[in-house]
Amino acid sequence: MILYKGEIYPNEKQAELISSLKEDMYLTLQNKETLSYLTVIDACDKLYQRVINHEFDDIALPLLKALNMPYSSLERYAKVFSKEGLIKKIDIELGDLKNGVLSLDENNNRYYEPLGILFHIAAGNVDLLPAYSVVEGLLVGNINILKLPTGDNGLSILLLKELIKEAPVLKDYVYVFDVPSTEVETIKQLSNMADATIVWGGDEAQRAARSFVDIHSSIISWGHKISFSYVDSGVTNEEIEDLCKSICLSNQLFCSSSQGIYVNTDSKEELHSLAKRVLPIFAKVSKSMNTLPLTIKAKNSLMLYNDELEGNLNNIYKDSGVSIVVKEDNKLELSYLFQNIWIKALKKEDIVNVLKPNKNLLQTISINKNLKGKEDIVSLLAKAGAVRITALGDNSRMLAGESHDGEYALRRYIRIVETIK
Amino acid sequence: MSKMSSLFRTRKKKIYSLDDNLFYLAMKENCLFHYKHNKDYKALLDRMNFSPEDINSYDDLEKIPPIPTLYFKHHNLLSLKNNRYWVKATSSGTSGKNVSLIGLTFTDLLRGWGMVRRVFSYHHLWSIKPHRYIVFGYEPHKGNDKAIAKTAHGFTFVSPALSKDYAIRWTKDGYKVDLDNLEAKFIKYSKGKTPIRTLGFPAYTYFLLEQMKAKGIKLKLPKGSIISLGGGWKSFYKEKVDKQVFYDLAYEVLGIDDKHIFEFFGAVEHPILYTDCRYHHFHIPNYARIIIRDVETLKPVKPGQVGLINLLTPMSVGTPILSIMTDDLGILHEESCPCGEKSMYLEILGRSGIEDIKTCAAGAEELLKGDKS
Repeated sequence: MILYKGEIYPNEKQAELISSLKEDMYLTLQNKETLSYLTVIDACDKLYQRVINHEFDDIALPLLKALNMPYSSLERYAKVFSKEGLIKKIDIELGDLKNGVLSLDENNNRYYEPLGILFHIAAGNVDLLPAYSVVEGLLVGNINILKLPTGDNGLSILLLKELIKEAPVLKDYVYVFDVPSTEVETIKQLSNMADATIVWGGDEAQRAARSFVDIHSSIISWGHKISFSYVDSGVTNEEIEDLCKSICLSNQLFCSSSQGIYVNTDSKEELHSLAKRVLPIFAKVSKSMNTLPLTIKAKNSLMLYNDELEGNLNNIYKDSGVSIVVKEDNKLELSYLFQNIWIKALKKEDIVNVLKPNKNLLQTISINKNLKGKEDIVSLLAKAGAVRITALGDNSRMLAGESHDGEYALRRYIRIVETIK
Repeated sequence: MSKMSSLFRTRKKKIYSLDDNLFYLAMKENCLFHYKHNKDYKALLDRMNFSPEDINSYDDLEKIPPIPTLYFKHHNLLSLKNNRYWVKATSSGTSGKNVSLIGLTFTDLLRGWGMVRRVFSYHHLWSIKPHRYIVFGYEPHKGNDKAIAKTAHGFTFVSPALSKDYAIRWTKDGYKVDLDNLEAKFIKYSKGKTPIRTLGFPAYTYFLLEQMKAKGIKLKLPKGSIISLGGGWKSFYKEKVDKQVFYDLAYEVLGIDDKHIFEFFGAVEHPILYTDCRYHHFHIPNYARIIIRDVETLKPVKPGQVGLINLLTPMSVGTPILSIMTDDLGILHEESCPCGEKSMYLEILGRSGIEDIKTCAAGAEELLKGDKS
């Protein structure tokens, strides 16, 4: 499906529509007044109200069921589209600039302009993300072209179409194409029309983008990040359960998902005893949430069995498709994903040494509430590169006004213009 | 004669009548051989608390620690000195790394040859009549050690070849996919009388048939032509189509009915020739056994249940591939098959794991996969 000027078209129309896209977008830039964030926020808020008033339950409920999420989590995620949430975002990210033309000195003014045209390549691992990325572009007045992620379930187009219904002026600012990833030439063509290509994804994704983005257009990367947990022996079973829930919910596929647990200790026994505590809770939560497909369980079993053959017999704790591997090194690494975590020792004194080399990779670190020396440890984690420190289980929470990976998106989607008075 | 060699001399008529006692003895012999000659394999079995002496009946075969194909990709497990190997073959990983290396000795090849000779004879594939070969796979080249290239090349000797054409051709820039050339050859050869035999990756065969259908090309291949498929769908698992859809397409475009479509199954780590029967079932031949294992516990499951496919054969003294664990999911069927063969048959459901993953990194890197070569 294609969304073009507020209308839905079949994919067969792709070539025809793309051939007129540049002209249509330039006409908008030439003839329309810069979009006000108030218009966008108003439309988002109306849509938000409709979502929480159950108007979209026929789509939302099966999705929530598939993810084994309660309705409250939809309300929480949808809240980022609410007036309150978006105003807060504007206040925090734009600061004074939201007020329009500001004086720079006695002879000059300054104000922000949108970059112009943004091309979004969204990752497919968070269902609301593609639409959210477009809303961010809209908030500061950009025209947005969205390439749907592979396997998109139709939610993005639906939300954006409904958004345009709430504010028809937005129809000139939103274009969605379902271009297969194999159509590299088409993707290049779309990217070449844009002032910036926004890429959600890891190193590979960034490398791919560099190979096709025009040299005069920029790449804005929301890259692959690694997140984990940091605890000491004071961690409670309730906190462990919360952590397991967040791991099972995301299957560790989000940038913010915990890949493993560092423990503030140098005792191997403590690592093993924590693994023994975590395993039954982890298995119970996994069974109740039931988010592991059969093929993934098979893959998990194979990887762990292979580890056993490699001689790692005594360090693997597994039950019902979940696993914990106690490792003797302290290197930050991805887990096997899909409900397989590692446990490693990392003394407070070693935090910066061990984590700092991963400076551009760190994102969320969840810690236990009564972590001894919490303030020092939080400061050390932040110095090492972490951008979010949360409670266990809150790794993937979304807050209105929070940054993306330590940066404000809206600031990156605008440019500052200085003019003489 | 060793039990291993006896097993590989199973008479043509008995290929699908399983002799469990002989199989168990051959497996024990093979396990003892590798345990004695391969210190890495011995260390692995010791680590897993298993000794070949623990194999005392057919039922004990499930206790032999299966080696995942993943393990072969990271370890050289050859059992003998280099000069003993007549063939070294690798799996068809596309990146050139992470491939399994399997070495076969002269004895292994003799056993394999005996098996191929009888299986092809059983399925009436040998012919003295000349054929034209269209291979949906790699053109042979001295740098290509992929087992799939070697077996596809071997297949072109099953009958005298008037011509051989390949989908993946060797050029000065390396291998390139050239389906248009094969399309032209199909059109040209369909006008002659010499039967055509195709062999190779189902994905490429399917892509070409689709391409020809889109152009409205409908041919009638000469009498006696067959389509044969092997090597699986590999990275094109998303394009994989139902067998019946494939058969209908082959009939529509090439005029070949499903009685003349054969499928082979095997793996570099399990070089056994499985050929589907008239009803397109992969019956287990006497040279091998299959255990389906529970996806969580890896314990054997009953026929009819889904699990990971564990393949067993005592074929090789070169490499300890007697029990290998694939990353494919499958089901063993014990229902009787209308073809009359008594052995159970394997249904391959697809690969475990990674295909389903959508991670943070799953966005733009897919773009680079634009070239299907």
